[in-house]
Amino acid sequence: MSLWDRIDKLDRRWIFLLVGIAVIIPLFVNMEAEISITPEARQLFEAVDALPNDSSIVLVTFDLYAFSLAETEPMARAALHHLFSKNIRVVTVTTIPLGGPSIAERVTREVAAEYGKTYGVDFVNLGYKPNYVSVLRGMGTDIRSIYPTDNSGTVLDSLPLMNEVFNYDDLDFIFVTADNGIVDFWISIVQAQYGIPVGAGVTAVMAPKQYAYVGSGQMTGLLGGMKGAAEYELLVERADLGVKGMAIQSLIHFLIIALIAVGNIAYFISLRRKRRGQA
Amino acid sequence: MTVFEIWLGAFLTLAIFSFLYRDNPVYRLAESAFAGISAGYYIGLIWESVIVQFLWVPMTNPENPKVWLVIPLFLGLLMFARLFSGTALGKYVWLSRIGLAFVMGSTAGVFLMSELHGNVLGQMFGTMQVQSAQGEPAVLLTIIVAVGVIATLIYFYFSKEHTGALGVTAKVGIWFIMISFGAHFGYTVMGRISLLIGRVYFLWNDWLGSFLF
Repeated sequence: MSLWDRIDKLDRRWIFLLVGIAVIIPLFVNMEAEISITPEARQLFEAVDALPNDSSIVLVTFDLYAFSLAETEPMARAALHHLFSKNIRVVTVTTIPLGGPSIAERVTREVAAEYGKTYGVDFVNLGYKPNYVSVLRGMGTDIRSIYPTDNSGTVLDSLPLMNEVFNYDDLDFIFVTADNGIVDFWISIVQAQYGIPVGAGVTAVMAPKQYAYVGSGQMTGLLGGMKGAAEYELLVERADLGVKGMAIQSLIHFLIIALIAVGNIAYFISLRRKRRGQA
Repeated sequence: MTVFEIWLGAFLTLAIFSFLYRDNPVYRLAESAFAGISAGYYIGLIWESVIVQFLWVPMTNPENPKVWLVIPLFLGLLMFARLFSGTALGKYVWLSRIGLAFVMGSTAGVFLMSELHGNVLGQMFGTMQVQSAQGEPAVLLTIIVAVGVIATLIYFYFSKEHTGALGVTAKVGIWFIMISFGAHFGYTVMGRISLLIGRVYFLWNDWLGSFLF
């Protein structure tokens, strides 16, 4: 059996091992990747940056499961850093039951603590309610009809921030972080029918579809995957896991491109040999 | 996170990764634990946030009891009639369709409007307008979008055989679809690698870092 035949029949676990090694190596070696800012990420940053300081209120959604935290948490953190640094008040919400409420609580409180923000005054976590279509529509009429209390069971009227927020009309921007199709409904229900600007940070798997919304002007800026998170981190000058992760990403992308090339060459060489053998 | 939580997280992460070598009991333990805990958590969450907060509390409010909530409660209970299947009460299974019909009807109504506003009209307007250019020639972008949309739509037109001009346009449509698949695949690779990076960071920093350095 020739080298190419062996490569053609290579046990895929060797590829898993190679990818694993490629992820681990940068942990020992200080690597940096050059990250360019895409127009979509800059558009989102500029939209948030243009909001009036102190008086604005932004809804940040944590429509994400725990599995996608590597991509979505850096985006949410960078967004919260941007908002809190501008003294913009934040209301968080989630349409995902498994992880969403607790992730929103943890991430928002950690970032808010850095800026000395007070719960109830500067930020509120509404938590989760099932049936996202009813939630998104109901919040347009009266947030209290969907969320009588916040995530901890506190009645909304007892929270000073919520005395200024009754429906979408009281929000200046919606910053969606999502790892699933719910972002489509933030566009088709909330942006399209209530006219409030929506920007999004989504997982890489979802990103290609969302570019259509940016192109049509329905979405105000987009962050796609870890690259998008890294871009926003650079824009708000808070480099974190997104920026660190992109160095590893670049290394693995080179590895995968090389594997695709070698795999295809091996396949075609094996195919040619088989044809010659048959002839 | 507490030390116990970190060690539990590390054990479950490694248990799931062990599937990359081959299926094994440790992987199945982690998988089953995830499925069971998720189901239990979800039931508890729905019970508290829906049954208690939206049904029991408003219905039993002594000042202003919302008695009409008996109707959705009744419709919801009818859903359980599906469980009669295969039992002596099997002939009453159809009752579940009443609640289901209500859900389907209301959902169709809501989705009709949202799809029309968000995906049909919004995307049609976006396709018709001149594409915003950020350094690139706007006219070229607009032509590419227009050709791409028309050619892809023609590829999915199956009422006439794809020959002649129709066939050529359909082939152009396939090229656009393939480029789209390529973009999706590239992003999917990036997404999956990101998840791996997140887990490796957790194992390296939070777990190994807690006792090695």
